[in-house]
Amino acid sequence: MQLVLTEEEAVELFAFLVTAARTQLDEAAEYGPLRLLTAARRLGEMIAPRSSEPVRQLVTGPLQQLGPVPLSDDDDRGDFAAQLDTVCVAVAEHATQRAGLRRKGTT
Amino acid sequence: MTEPSAEVLRTIRSRRVARALTAQPVTRDQLDTVLEAASFAPSAGNRRLHPLVVVTDPGRLSVLRMVSPGMLQRPAAAIVICIDQANARRFGFRPGTPGLYVDVGTLAATILLAAHAIGLGSGPVTSFSRAAATHVLDLPDGWEPRLIVCLGHPADHQPAGMRANRRREALARTLWR
Repeated sequence: MQLVLTEEEAVELFAFLVTAARTQLDEAAEYGPLRLLTAARRLGEMIAPRSSEPVRQLVTGPLQQLGPVPLSDDDDRGDFAAQLDTVCVAVAEHATQRAGLRRKGTT
Repeated sequence: MTEPSAEVLRTIRSRRVARALTAQPVTRDQLDTVLEAASFAPSAGNRRLHPLVVVTDPGRLSVLRMVSPGMLQRPAAAIVICIDQANARRFGFRPGTPGLYVDVGTLAATILLAAHAIGLGSGPVTSFSRAAATHVLDLPDGWEPRLIVCLGHPADHQPAGMRANRRREALARTLWR
């Protein structure tokens, strides 16, 4: 098992997530995905230098392609959801391969 | 229009939120200049119920950022605008009185412009745990942190803003009576 996060980095991320849960109570619902994606990006930046190449690509690649989080009804939520789905699939694909699982239709 | 007025307008128009700051320190002189300018911010009834906390210690700044989900930049310094709720009560203000929060905004705007005027980058942060920040800053009883102004030197590359520029739309919605 490869350790990729220092205790200091873990505490920083832990603090971010806990305090974000609190601030979210006072903020617009749309800030929820914004904070989660910020946490994901920070985690990616923290672990990338010590990660294997496939993990480094996963945590630094797909999230960079995301457009801004929609914050009002005027923004295109559907397009953003589709972009986020693409990232989710990339994560699932990585996890599937990592677990040595095969999907139907794959050889 | 006289030249000094034009300079003020140029400063107002060219200020932007700096979402990426370099590690270059902010000097004591720069902070003093910003604080002195802040002392001219309008304050309802000239009551001055908004003490400021200047944070320059790198360790404390780092921890403050940990408990501030809205702080995307890594500031070289920060000015935390507080409401002295204990003193406000002595003036007869009830908790939640809007005027106290309006003054936070005018103070923040003055600080942001003053920082920009001397070449510093700045960005306001309201998304932070007030309970955690109170603890991190070791604030006196009755001081409530309401807004953090991050200060530093702007990085060459700035992340895009969260929204499209809606300044013109907002201007167009202005009603004239």
